[in-house]
Amino acid sequence: MPQKTGQTVLPPASQTLEEIVRRLETGGALLPNSPDNLIEVVGILKSYGEVLNAYRLNLTYIAEYQFLVLFPFFKYFNGEVTASKLLRHWWHDRINYEFSEYCMKAMFWHGGGKLDDYLDSDEFRQLAQKAIQAKLAGNPLMLGCNRLFPEFLLEQVRVMAYYSALGQFWTVMSAMFLDLSDRYDRGEIQSIGDVVDHILVGLVEAASKPIVYQVKIGNQTYDILPASAGLTFLMDTAVPYVEAVFFRSFPFRGTVTYNAQSHQISADQSQFCYGALYADPLPIGGAGIPPTLLMQDMTHFLPEYLHDLYRMGLRGEEDLRVKICISFQKSMFCVTTAAILGLAPYPITTTNPTEQQANHIYLGSWVKRLADSRLITLQND
Amino acid sequence: MLSALIWIPLLGAVLVTLLPSAWGASYPRFLSLGLIGATVIVSILLGIQFDPSLSDFQFTEQLPWIEPLGLNYQLGVDGLAFPLLVMNAVLTLIALWSSDRFTVRPRLYYTLMLLLNASVSGAFLAQNVLLFFIFYEIELIPLYLLIAIWGGPRRGYAATKFLIYTAVSGVLILIAFLGLAWLTGSTTFDYAVLKQQTLPLTVQVALLGALLVGFGIKIPLVPFHTWLPDAHVEASTPISVLLAGVLLKLGTYGLFRFGLGMFPDAWVLLSPWLASWAVVSVLYGSFTAIAQKDMKKMVAYSSIGHMGFILLAGAAASPLSMLGAVMQMVSHGLISGLLFLLVGGVYAKTGSRDIDLLRGLLNPERGLPVLGSLMVLGAMASAGIPGMVGFMAEFLVFRGSFPVFPVQTLLCMIGTGLTAVYLLLLVNKVFFGRLSESVMNLPRVRWAERLPAISLALLVVTFGIQPIWLSRWTEVSTTTLVSHFPTIAQVTAAQTAANSDRSEERMP
Repeated sequence: MPQKTGQTVLPPASQTLEEIVRRLETGGALLPNSPDNLIEVVGILKSYGEVLNAYRLNLTYIAEYQFLVLFPFFKYFNGEVTASKLLRHWWHDRINYEFSEYCMKAMFWHGGGKLDDYLDSDEFRQLAQKAIQAKLAGNPLMLGCNRLFPEFLLEQVRVMAYYSALGQFWTVMSAMFLDLSDRYDRGEIQSIGDVVDHILVGLVEAASKPIVYQVKIGNQTYDILPASAGLTFLMDTAVPYVEAVFFRSFPFRGTVTYNAQSHQISADQSQFCYGALYADPLPIGGAGIPPTLLMQDMTHFLPEYLHDLYRMGLRGEEDLRVKICISFQKSMFCVTTAAILGLAPYPITTTNPTEQQANHIYLGSWVKRLADSRLITLQND
Repeated sequence: MLSALIWIPLLGAVLVTLLPSAWGASYPRFLSLGLIGATVIVSILLGIQFDPSLSDFQFTEQLPWIEPLGLNYQLGVDGLAFPLLVMNAVLTLIALWSSDRFTVRPRLYYTLMLLLNASVSGAFLAQNVLLFFIFYEIELIPLYLLIAIWGGPRRGYAATKFLIYTAVSGVLILIAFLGLAWLTGSTTFDYAVLKQQTLPLTVQVALLGALLVGFGIKIPLVPFHTWLPDAHVEASTPISVLLAGVLLKLGTYGLFRFGLGMFPDAWVLLSPWLASWAVVSVLYGSFTAIAQKDMKKMVAYSSIGHMGFILLAGAAASPLSMLGAVMQMVSHGLISGLLFLLVGGVYAKTGSRDIDLLRGLLNPERGLPVLGSLMVLGAMASAGIPGMVGFMAEFLVFRGSFPVFPVQTLLCMIGTGLTAVYLLLLVNKVFFGRLSESVMNLPRVRWAERLPAISLALLVVTFGIQPIWLSRWTEVSTTTLVSHFPTIAQVTAAQTAANSDRSEERMP
């Protein structure tokens, strides 16, 4: 029974959400500031930066050099196919590029931004067809197939466009995270707020960076995403990426079995909440759990100070990938904070009460959306 | 050489007691491990010299002791005792290794463990029934103290119950031995002499009855079983391993050596009842196991069920079923030892054995994936999945028993199916699914802690793939044990024919 104290009695989760909104309004982040959180976030973003760099190199390589290669057996080799690399690949001493494709497919499937619209435009169809014809020149069999199924190769080009767009997005993010780590090493990053500021500044700086994609076939260069399409970094890759990968994603086979027929999965894609901010870190390491691939990749690049922190845990290095996942989620809440603050209707430092009220409603709606994510758990973790 | 298996741990026990208390727990531990390691080596040397083609006792030793009482120091080993002897050494080594490194009163603990090993070896080796009885009784003391001092919260109750039951067991066995000696007028308790008795069948049945109840308590058979789940639940993991792996086998060994060996005519007469008793034990143990919420209690009831298979095989008393019985003794020793080690491992890390509380322990990063995988293997082995020792043992038991007692065998086979039911329930609830919130931060399991269970799992698989490595020691001895009386199948068939003849005569 609520006590009659004159104050509104909220359930604990609501109280926490209110506190988070207040924290955001006073310059804080979704993640509370603490020395351990800072070490985890900066350390994991350093590692993530290295992994993203490897991912973006491969995505760009596939977009440029595996264009319309229908059986790309060596697409993860970045053009360098040697016996030793092949053996290392089979021994699984490699980067799990499959994860970057998993993210690309999430973006491709959920769409969003002008990129998605552009890929359905006539201009794109014409440009893509030119490239297809050039690629298939001298191949009557494939040309015939293209006449019979004209949407098939076109869809492949759309996929290639997403390979390229995600590669370009991660090129910026990778450099941003590695720069953050360098600044932390120089003592310039002292709090979670500093981390958010660094990312926010980086996002704003790169916001209008054009997203373009060309392929070279023979001696000729073909535009797929021309500069004239007006695609930019922030609104056409960053925002759709956050929406698709952080929030929505898609249900994967793990320890939870979803039954679409009994409506356990929403029919409305926009209601999906299987993304990185919602993922349960505990099944990491099990078969068929895609985040395991990313966490495995990040184990190779952990800075020593973070590795030491993990070693001090109860399980030592045995649950390293779960710990990395928890740190990764913390860091992604910082990136999400930067994105939320960057897209706020008014500067968060405004003193105008009307603008403050608009910001309050805006932040409240975001935090409400995150109510079922790992946000609450990570407040005290 | 056989004496070494008794005297090494016995003198070792004295040595451990004399260690200065200031030396801490590691000295008694490593000394005990070294001494039991030596007995394992002696067992291997025995194995090298042991001739499996001989049915007689080998490496016999005889020293006069208290001759007016007919008590002499007579030792010997045959194919029935040899596998159990080796298992005693190996499981004691594993139990010592898995004992708490920081246990309280370490010198007393390791002294009692060594004493237990020595007395069990003595019981398996004794060729004088009174000497067997002495070892059989001595073994109660360390086991009682090991449960009463290092056990769980209700250790006093469990240890006392164990002592009362097994003391009654000892009294009944002593009555049977003394009765046999008095009634035959024998001045010695030499097994070979007493075995030649020609007492009237009624007397034999009475003496065998005492042995059946006496050893039935030890095995244990329903309804004399209630001490076992309590003892297991309260005993620490190493003690449970020894209790299930070796000490219960004293019951079945005694039943075959002295019951079947000395009273074959009475055995033949009672065998249909024994087979039915086995069915009750198997089904009761299995159904009760299904209802358990405590993992250890479930494995304990599983033991009751699986020990019933041995009685079934003994009741059939065919060469094949007897071979199956010994295989089942070893198989149950290894598998139940493995299961108790794993349940102990889960309890040590999670602080719980509650099937309803634990969940998702196979989680690869934060659960107990190796222990969980071994538990799946142990469950499969216990349920008689081919490729593991449990399959071959149970197959031999059923194959050997079916021609003699088809109905009872089929009913016992239901017990095997029920084993799969309760162990899969355990595995499904405790190890599959998402890791429970209450056990999300478990301490790590070190390889040293996994080593005992891995060793047993390897033995379970090895003997499953190559059962001949196990059966070769036993086959001749068990065949000889049942060769000197008409097979129960023949007797049963003759009785059936006689009954039908009488029925036909009555027909107009």
